[in-house]
Amino acid sequence: MSVPLSQMWAVASYVVKQRLAGRARYPLVLMLEPLFRCNLACAGCGKIQYPAQILRKDLTVEQCLRAVEECGAPIVSIPGGEPLMYPEIGRLVQELVARKKYVYLCTNALLLREKLDADVFAPSKYLSFSIHMDGLREEHDEAVCRDGVYDEAVEAIRAALRRGFRVTTNTTLFDGANPLRTREFFDTMMDLGVEGMMISPGYSYAKAPDQEHFLRRQRAHELFSRILSSPKRRWKFNQSPLFLQFLMGKRDYECTPWGNPTYNVFGWQRPCYLLQEGYAATFQELIETTKWEHYGRKSGNDKCRDCMVHCGYEPTAVNHTFSSWRGFRDTVAATLTGRF
Amino acid sequence: MKDTESLEGWVPEIGDRVTLEEVIERAFDYRGNVTVVRADGARLEGYVFNRNRDVPVPFIQVFDRAGAGPYDILYSDIRTILFTGKDTAAGGSYAAWLRAKEGSKQRSGTTPAPDA
Ligand code: SF4
Ligand code: SF4
Repeated sequence: MSVPLSQMWAVASYVVKQRLAGRARYPLVLMLEPLFRCNLACAGCGKIQYPAQILRKDLTVEQCLRAVEECGAPIVSIPGGEPLMYPEIGRLVQELVARKKYVYLCTNALLLREKLDADVFAPSKYLSFSIHMDGLREEHDEAVCRDGVYDEAVEAIRAALRRGFRVTTNTTLFDGANPLRTREFFDTMMDLGVEGMMISPGYSYAKAPDQEHFLRRQRAHELFSRILSSPKRRWKFNQSPLFLQFLMGKRDYECTPWGNPTYNVFGWQRPCYLLQEGYAATFQELIETTKWEHYGRKSGNDKCRDCMVHCGYEPTAVNHTFSSWRGFRDTVAATLTGRF
Repeated sequence: MKDTESLEGWVPEIGDRVTLEEVIERAFDYRGNVTVVRADGARLEGYVFNRNRDVPVPFIQVFDRAGAGPYDILYSDIRTILFTGKDTAAGGSYAAWLRAKEGSKQRSGTTPAPDA
């Protein structure tokens, strides 16, 4: 695992504090979407299909900071849309770093070199660029429906690393992904020098244009087992090893959607980053009035049946690590041996 | 109506076959602008981004076509909702991209991947 010790410590102490305070449902990662606009239109994306007046909307930095304070999570992930198209992205990141939040800026990297050249960001242990990379050149350009995106992202990764930024990758895998090519992709990313990689199966957004290639649960277990069964020591993952074991079918977890709450131009999204079942005006309203029992695999909800996505299940794995000796032991063992 | 069919252009008549609650659910799920017809006949065109039916007085929330709002409208103040705007989730951009990709691969003499 490649998460820096200071970040691990921040998360561990936060979880322990929440448990001592007796909070049954607490957030770990705030998913902050300051806009829905994007300069790509990926086949598996269900985030950007809105009328023009909604796509033109931006949260203000003040709205973002209020959401961060309300929720209190130690990590803030900024997806979108494309966050580098948010006019105030530099100020937003600066304010979050000043508050000692660990920020993952999730970007397709098309604008990253331009922003780096303009000194919009300063390197910090609190800031990581999480670059959207769905595989090697052919697979990535196909997933994002545009040629040349992979090459630009690779150049942007190099440029960010040269300037001393933390850089990770985030990869969504769909049905038909080739395990050998995926392993080759991991090698390539490590050769580039990224700090760590994040992987997740795609969620079958009802609004996404490509409905054929979403992974069903058993197929997902098979695919991730083939990819991760004999991992190379040099591969670093910027995520919980227990979550990776869950993807491989070695663990059974239930979804904890409140672990990664989502805030965007509509408010606090119920129940999770993927589903839009309504919005609450405040974080407290979200936690107190969402019918959580209607979600997750055991609920029988069709929309949750095949979901194994990190935003629902990684918080469960992280809680497991820091709330039981067995979870902690298994995490340490996987981290030390590099095996899942 | 099948879930996969776009509702674009739908002009529902509230009655025995479709209830107001059903139409509101569809409008909430619709990724395009709609026209909300109020009880007094006034119309508001915009995007229904939220509805809350679990409160004593259920309501919807709308950003109008200019992006202003949100405007809260009570269920009891809605006569019907017309699906007047383009369904932005019904686009064929992925299919068009695949066709273009396949065309260019055939032109350059390579074979598309089996799952392309
Ligand atoms: S997946 Fe990301 S990069 Fe692709 S269209 Fe959606 S928001 Fe944009
Ligand atoms: S199982 Fe997936 S879709 Fe369902 S609530 Fe959890 S994260 Fe959302």
